[in-house]
Amino acid sequence: MKLLVVEDEHKTADYVRQGLMEAGFVVDLARDGPDGLHMATTEHYDLIVLDVMLPGMDGRKILQTIRAAGNQVPVLFLTARSSVDDRVQGLELGADDYLVKPFVFSELLARVRTLLRRGGSPIPHDRIQIADLELDLARRRATRAGQRINLTSKEFALLELLARRQGEVLPRSLIASQVWDMNFDSDTNVIDVAIRRLRAKIDDSFEPKLIQTVRGMGYTLDLPDA
Amino acid sequence: MPDRFAFLRRPASLSARVTGLVGIAMMVVLLLFSWVSVGSLDRHFAEMDEEELGVIASSVIRALGEVQDGSDTQALRRAVRGHHGVYYYVADAGGKTLYAPKDGPDLASFARRTPPVPLADRQSMTIWEENGKSYRGGVIQVGGDTSLSGTYTIAVAMNIGGHLEFIRSFKRIQWWTICVVMCIAILVAWFAVRWGHIPIHRANEKIRAITSSKLYLRLDPKAVPVELEETIASFNDMLGRIEDGFEQLANFSADIAHELRTPVTNLTTQTEVALGQARSADEYREILYSNLEEFGRLNRMINDMLFLAQTENDPGNLNLESVVLEDAVRGLFEYFEALVEERGVKLELRGRTTPIRGDREMLRRALSNLISNAIRYTPSGETITVRFSQNDRDVIISVENPGEKIPPEELSRIFNRFYRVGHAAHRKGEGAGLGLAIVKSIVEAHGGSVSALSDEKLTKFYILLPLTES
Ligand SMILES: Nc1ncnc2c1ncn2[C@@H]1O[C@H](COP(=O)(O)OP(=O)(O)OP(=O)(O)O)[C@@H](O)[C@H]1O
Ligand SMILES: [Mg+2]
Repeated sequence: MKLLVVEDEHKTADYVRQGLMEAGFVVDLARDGPDGLHMATTEHYDLIVLDVMLPGMDGRKILQTIRAAGNQVPVLFLTARSSVDDRVQGLELGADDYLVKPFVFSELLARVRTLLRRGGSPIPHDRIQIADLELDLARRRATRAGQRINLTSKEFALLELLARRQGEVLPRSLIASQVWDMNFDSDTNVIDVAIRRLRAKIDDSFEPKLIQTVRGMGYTLDLPDA
Repeated sequence: MPDRFAFLRRPASLSARVTGLVGIAMMVVLLLFSWVSVGSLDRHFAEMDEEELGVIASSVIRALGEVQDGSDTQALRRAVRGHHGVYYYVADAGGKTLYAPKDGPDLASFARRTPPVPLADRQSMTIWEENGKSYRGGVIQVGGDTSLSGTYTIAVAMNIGGHLEFIRSFKRIQWWTICVVMCIAILVAWFAVRWGHIPIHRANEKIRAITSSKLYLRLDPKAVPVELEETIASFNDMLGRIEDGFEQLANFSADIAHELRTPVTNLTTQTEVALGQARSADEYREILYSNLEEFGRLNRMINDMLFLAQTENDPGNLNLESVVLEDAVRGLFEYFEALVEERGVKLELRGRTTPIRGDREMLRRALSNLISNAIRYTPSGETITVRFSQNDRDVIISVENPGEKIPPEELSRIFNRFYRVGHAAHRKGEGAGLGLAIVKSIVEAHGGSVSALSDEKLTKFYILLPLTES
């Protein structure tokens, strides 16, 4: 997967590139507007991360030009401090998602993966299998090692989220927002407790342990160090 | 485009208003006075003239009585003595002139064109002009009674040029006097207004001395004229509010600095120590993780402060929709379910409300903060109750939990930013102390209010929301 990052702030640009590369992407970096536009129009990318404020040519203009040329590459817009206008305008111009600056890297990574998945191969819709954990999405049932596991509907939703995004680190705020529709900072203890209870059901009496804690970042569901 | 006529729409200056009004009032008064005085002078002269003419007419009649047949013009000529500028004319019933003056007006034609009246009627005197001179006069018919043998027509007239000239010069003098008096009056009025404004200028100078570093200064409402007292008092009130706001802001900045300093210092120390000697990769990882957690906390705190600043600076920025509060609370109960079970407490919802207009996400955030606090401070085995009630104007939401009493002096400050009861600041698991401040700012942005009560058994937080957002 090849990504283009157009960002003029040196430090941000560097850590975004490094982070994305370590997450397994090929990353090109443009540090100003005209460069960004040139690269976006001459090469093929699977996704573009585009800053709004850029020297030479602003992000909106680049987006407009790309879309006018019929290029439907997914674009993640980086907007300045929660200015609603920027967001609305970005989405109207054809951005696929936006992220308010400053952001934490895990959030960016999560968004990038979501966008790439949206365009790519759809996830199987009726079952997910990870090791000996099986999720029947249609009937909302989980089994581990063939054993039926009783989950509340929210527990199932949580497990489904983790399973659908296997291997991704999901920040607590993202989990709260996806499972409970809590779109604001709230008591994150709740997520820890919910995960602990889920673990008790699907991991405690089984091997290998599937739910991993990534300290300071969140949780992920994956086979341990495969 | 600059508005060139803006000055026309601006209310007229106070000096202009007062001066103009005084000018108009003076003008009216003086004109009235002049009209009255000229009128009475006029009447006075008329009366004088009429009386004199009456006397003359009487003398003529007496003379006519003496000469009997009226043919003795000598007697008629002598009839009037010692009067100047007085003329009379006598004709008999047939219109034959018995006596006519040698000079003066043509009384014969005057007698012919003027209808005669009886002697008693003086008001019928007329004024006319002849050969450039002005006369007052009248025509009388006498006779037919015992004292006179025949009927006669008598015309009397006098030159009133002198009187008219007198009135004219009187008017002229009066006009000049009016002009001068007007000018003086307007000037005095203008000076009076200016002088009256001196206290305002003085107050203004004092106001100018109140810079942002001297907001504690106040103006003395007793040191200005009574008319300004109220304005000065309002000004002082406003100054008080600004001072409070300033102080709050200053305190807030100080609080922020203080609250941020502790974690940043911890991070610095930790990093310095970590770098103090070579360590294994695992140790470095451990330190980075620990730092990351601390950064996460800092980040949340900064986000909360930003949210507070935004709702307080722009309370109108609400995404208004119809919110069913019961549904919102049930959703939150679902969210807290796991935590609640682990803590061994229960959540309960009581009462009902009609839907209100508000920002759903914001209200959920406020309620979530209250519930999360309640869960933290409720002893195991107890129940937290969210209770709705409603009157015709407001919805009242209370979040009640059994727990330790919050002392009254702390209760009053509990909604302040960064305030934590009993300096719980750095106890493990405690938050930044912004939760309740956020509740307050959200509720106030909705036009509502918050309060808290606490006794030995229960701690209650109330949110009061108006049913119709004005
Ligand atoms: N239900 C309650 N019972 C007893 N004390 C309470 C209750 N709710 C709040 N308090 C006290 O009020 C203080 C302020 O609460 P607030 O929610 O503002 O901050 P916090 O919970 O400490 O931090 P934050 O909410 O920002 O994570 C708390 O520290 C606590 O001491
Ligand atoms: Mg709190």
